[in-house]
Amino acid sequence: MNKEKISSQEIIDLVASKASVSKRAAEEFLKVMITSVEEGLLAGEVVKIKNFGTFKLQWNEPRKSVNIQSGDEIIISGYYKVVFIPDSSLKEQINEPFAHLEPVILDLETQKIELDDETDSTSDPLRLFNEQASEIKNLISEIQALSSNSVLSKKEDKTVLEDTVDNNENSESNEYVDELNDFSKENESTLNENELIKTESTQEDSNISIENEKEPIKTELPLEELNNSIENKEEINSIIQKDSETLLHSELTSTPYLDDIKPLKSRKGRKLILLILILVLGIGTGFLFFTRSDSKLSINKISEKFSITEIINSVSQWFTPKTKPEAVAEKVVIPKDTNEYDSINQNQPIDSVQLLFDNPRVYNDFIASERIRNGSRLTILSKRYYGNKDFWVYIYEANKDRISNPDKIEIGTLIRIPKLDPRLIDVSNPRCILKARELHDIYIK
Amino acid sequence: MNNKELIASMALKMNAPKSMVAVLLETTIATCTELLLEEKTIGFQSFGNFEVRKKEERLSVHPSTHIRTLIPPKLVVNFKQSNILKDKLKDIPHHE
Repeated sequence: MNKEKISSQEIIDLVASKASVSKRAAEEFLKVMITSVEEGLLAGEVVKIKNFGTFKLQWNEPRKSVNIQSGDEIIISGYYKVVFIPDSSLKEQINEPFAHLEPVILDLETQKIELDDETDSTSDPLRLFNEQASEIKNLISEIQALSSNSVLSKKEDKTVLEDTVDNNENSESNEYVDELNDFSKENESTLNENELIKTESTQEDSNISIENEKEPIKTELPLEELNNSIENKEEINSIIQKDSETLLHSELTSTPYLDDIKPLKSRKGRKLILLILILVLGIGTGFLFFTRSDSKLSINKISEKFSITEIINSVSQWFTPKTKPEAVAEKVVIPKDTNEYDSINQNQPIDSVQLLFDNPRVYNDFIASERIRNGSRLTILSKRYYGNKDFWVYIYEANKDRISNPDKIEIGTLIRIPKLDPRLIDVSNPRCILKARELHDIYIK
Repeated sequence: MNNKELIASMALKMNAPKSMVAVLLETTIATCTELLLEEKTIGFQSFGNFEVRKKEERLSVHPSTHIRTLIPPKLVVNFKQSNILKDKLKDIPHHE
């Protein structure tokens, strides 16, 4: 809300420039206007200005009140007040940001269970967010449980790996210990701690080495798992856990392509950093979900998978380039494509309306132009000019050169409202609405 | 006093043709509307201020049927008279 107050002088300047009259004339006009309105009011008349509103006098009856300081009773005498009632057109224009909202009747007697008393503007995104937030909370708590019991989890991994890992383990462990020592010398940030740990008993060393040899095998295995089981959401969660752990390990180690060797830090410090990074990850994915919650619910599920696969794909690229990110991406994209093709493969009557739908539309005639204000939407413009919100897609098509993202249009953009074939935007024809919704789905990926 | 009468009285005072006055009135109103749409307050000296206010959403109960309705939030135009105008109005006799 702008707290700027615009003086009558500014109005005079604007009017003078708009009506191409001299500033003196505009000034005189404004004064005369105000005087005339006042005169009319003082005479007890109602002054009505077209497309603006009506001014009238309101009589307020005398009423009893209290003197604030003394506490005595006083009577406020009756008085007249100037009241302005805006015209319906002005009301609609001003209320445009909230124009799509309508009163909602709450039926609390019959709905004994839940209070679903939120308006359109707040229900869907909030509920979505709450669901997602609780999901993320579960995720984080699971990850925390995991990380706090890291030894336990590694024992779990041990059982999984038993089948694949040979007796060669033991011979490798010696190599690892050597490399471990070398790395610890090189790693500057953990130099002191390394020395401390180095001087400790060999039992500790062997423990660390066993942990470390688990790392490289562990990183490769989860990736294979990832590629096989994307469909199941629970698995995705577990994958994220492992994934984030591997991510963390990759961040913590100096070179990702070498075998993972944990820099020798104290375990508690490591866990703290682990937790913080997981939290950041969780919040990051939470934001991703939240921003995507603007679009339809049905698309949300697919977009969730998308974002997870994005993370997984980026991770897999770091470690083993051999994995197939393309296959994963395709798997998710296909359901969207088939929707589009289905509409064409179906047996639809080839009539003029269908031709209108299928032929690429060219926009040469425009019936109006609108400037985008703070809070104005294409759907509202479409409702005003075509009678239905869904036909915003045609406005978007006509202005594609000016609009990069139909969800976010810059304030001040000049949108031209195209003249459309009435058969294309027939509000009563369900096919028109269906087609418009198809286009909507295409544009809002 | 409707639009026509207003224009007539203004034209008389300004010694200007009615068409001119009508055009000026239209542009003034259009300018004011535009400014209000930008959520700015317009102030006319010794007359009053036009302001855009937001009304929060509220629960209202129908008195007889007791149906509870959630009314959505909205923006409205508000006019607040200036004190000078208020004083002028005190001179008006009020007949009960």
